[in-house]
Amino acid sequence: MFADLSEKFKKIFKKIKNKGKLSEKDIKNCLYEIRIALLEADVNYKVVKEFINDLNEQIIEEKISESLSPAQQVIKIVHQEITRILGSKKSDIVISSKPPTVMLLAGLQGTGKTTTAVKLANYLRKKGKHPILVATDIYRPAAIEQLKVFGEKSNIPVFSMGVKEKAVNIVKAALKYSSNKDFDVLIVDTAGRLHIDEKLMSELEEINKEIISQEKLLLIDAMSGQDAINSAKVFCEKIKITGIILSKLDGDARGGVALSLRKVLDIPIKFIGIGEKVNDFDIFHPERMASRILEMGDMLTLIEKVESAYDEKEINRINKKIKTNDFDLNDFYSQLKKMENVGSVEQIVGMIPGAANLNTNKMKYDNRELKKIEAIISSMTIEERNNPSITNGSRRRRIAKGSGTQIFEINRLLKQFNQIKGMMKKRKSIKNFPFN
Amino acid sequence: MSINNIVSRYKQGLIKFRKNITENIKLLFRNSKNKEIFLEKLEELLILSDVGVSATEDIINHFEEINFSEYKKNNFMYFKEQLKKMFTDILNNSSSTIDTLEIKKDKLNVMMIVGVNGSGKTSSAAKIACKFKNKNNILLVPADTFRSAAVEQLKIMANRAGVEIVNSKEGADPASVVHDGINAAKARNKNIVIIDTAGRLHTKINLMSELKKIKRVIKKEAEEHSLEILQTIDATMGQNVISQAKLFNESLGVTGIILTKMDGTAKGGIVIAIKKELDIPVKLITFGEKLNNLHYFENDKFVEALLD
Repeated sequence: MFADLSEKFKKIFKKIKNKGKLSEKDIKNCLYEIRIALLEADVNYKVVKEFINDLNEQIIEEKISESLSPAQQVIKIVHQEITRILGSKKSDIVISSKPPTVMLLAGLQGTGKTTTAVKLANYLRKKGKHPILVATDIYRPAAIEQLKVFGEKSNIPVFSMGVKEKAVNIVKAALKYSSNKDFDVLIVDTAGRLHIDEKLMSELEEINKEIISQEKLLLIDAMSGQDAINSAKVFCEKIKITGIILSKLDGDARGGVALSLRKVLDIPIKFIGIGEKVNDFDIFHPERMASRILEMGDMLTLIEKVESAYDEKEINRINKKIKTNDFDLNDFYSQLKKMENVGSVEQIVGMIPGAANLNTNKMKYDNRELKKIEAIISSMTIEERNNPSITNGSRRRRIAKGSGTQIFEINRLLKQFNQIKGMMKKRKSIKNFPFN
Repeated sequence: MSINNIVSRYKQGLIKFRKNITENIKLLFRNSKNKEIFLEKLEELLILSDVGVSATEDIINHFEEINFSEYKKNNFMYFKEQLKKMFTDILNNSSSTIDTLEIKKDKLNVMMIVGVNGSGKTSSAAKIACKFKNKNNILLVPADTFRSAAVEQLKIMANRAGVEIVNSKEGADPASVVHDGINAAKARNKNIVIIDTAGRLHTKINLMSELKKIKRVIKKEAEEHSLEILQTIDATMGQNVISQAKLFNESLGVTGIILTKMDGTAKGGIVIAIKKELDIPVKLITFGEKLNNLHYFENDKFVEALLD
């Protein structure tokens, strides 16, 4: 929907190609584009205004020259500045030296508190902790049930007392309960509430007053609009929030709210939610978020994921095979399998700059497809895998029968393989195949 | 509840919005020395209401052409009328046929509630049931078999509303839940079926295909029917809502929007952007957690409450 900012910049700088340095007007044009990009990413209006003013001074100071690709330079400055605001260092969760540690999750309705509570517990358990979930949402129908079911599915115990008891008493009882057992972290799921709902806000204040909690985490939906900082401010005033969890970042929201929150409230963003499964949870990376807000794609995540899927040895082995033209179907399959580890096509495309709005329907290449390829390749003889060109009509019929596929599917696979092999022949080397 | 009460409730819900906008406009109108300052302030006001960059630019462009000193000579009311007209024009400018939710006689009225996670689908499904239960025979179908205890949540709300609900289980295939639901509705002589679906982000192709499948099942099973595909939009959300509405619409053909959570301080201005960019009408609006706070969305009233 929105053009890539770097594309817009290129257009601006094309016009000024013959000049030695940026004129005031060029800078103004740049700043205008940055401003629009930030507003479209839902960064708060007032924050954008301040940010652009600061940026203006920086760009003038940096004395950008045309010979050094001014577009890249300006983008770099903007990116650095946003990264700096979002938090130059990662801020980890606080664990009390004297257990148990209490973590309170709060936020507006529908921001993902219950789901996140289980994810956070799961994350801490992987770090060697023994968390227990505490269900205090006594208002939303079946909210406690939801925590119980999702918690138990993820093998995390849930403490609940039904809907009749006051939230603060439930937490107190949970503390008592956990001291007899070996739980060292209590994660308290609270009811969703509007910041202007006095009754429910005082319930939070009461919990905060009577129970010492090391972390008070505010859930913010990544798709939030301009009002998000207003509600966040109230939560901070009332219970001194210690960190933010940005939820639902697995969609195409640019998440400008992150910049607003960091600029207005001096609270670190600690985690992000990236899906509905219990493992779809990650620590917050400021530089990646900056790219996302500027719609430059999440290349860092992508590169990191690709790197973790390919070790150097493997790359060298494949390179050698390509050079000697020995790349065969076995290698092809193992490469596809690695792609699967990197992520689904949707996830990968989402991380490529400017590709966020591509129609991924056309690029559908899901796991079922991979299963089919697996079936086809495993129905081939070793000879056929090493040298696919020998698979004539009768061989293909046999393979189709053996793998439960159609002949056209085998034809398609072999065609794809030949195309890839042809491409490789031209290139003769890979760095991060298949992304370079 | 009398009509007057409903209107006043509606207005009450919008009162914060109204107060903010009107007082601000009045102030910015009075305090602006020149056109530039005035336009900048107007822009701030519109962006902060989540009206969106494109719609805001249009409105600013319109006011850029005016002679500011002439405008200042006119009173505040005149200016407000202009702004009101612009908002109303965007909301009224519609190529689609029906902007309100109609219950068709002698037909099975099927309403499928869709939307992203946490936007208020389950609550809205129960609230719609509550709104229409007196004059209709309603069946709720809990097809959110993915989120833990979502079925349970709808069951509790259905009981509170006093509306019948079919059974389904977590993990069941939602399309077959809908299949059985539609057939149960036919067997029990229901005239409205409200289907609650699982929340999903609009960018997830597989999950969007699942919705398409549900829609196919409805078309196949319901025979003589009228289908409303209602998308819940959280009023606190920003520009991403346009992408949400666009992709849900492309997959399913959204017939109307339910604007939820209008009891907060968010301005819900995003509906202006949605209407302008996608021409999808807003049909219903909700103001809180009680079962009876769902109302028809009325363009004139929305803008009236916004600026009066």
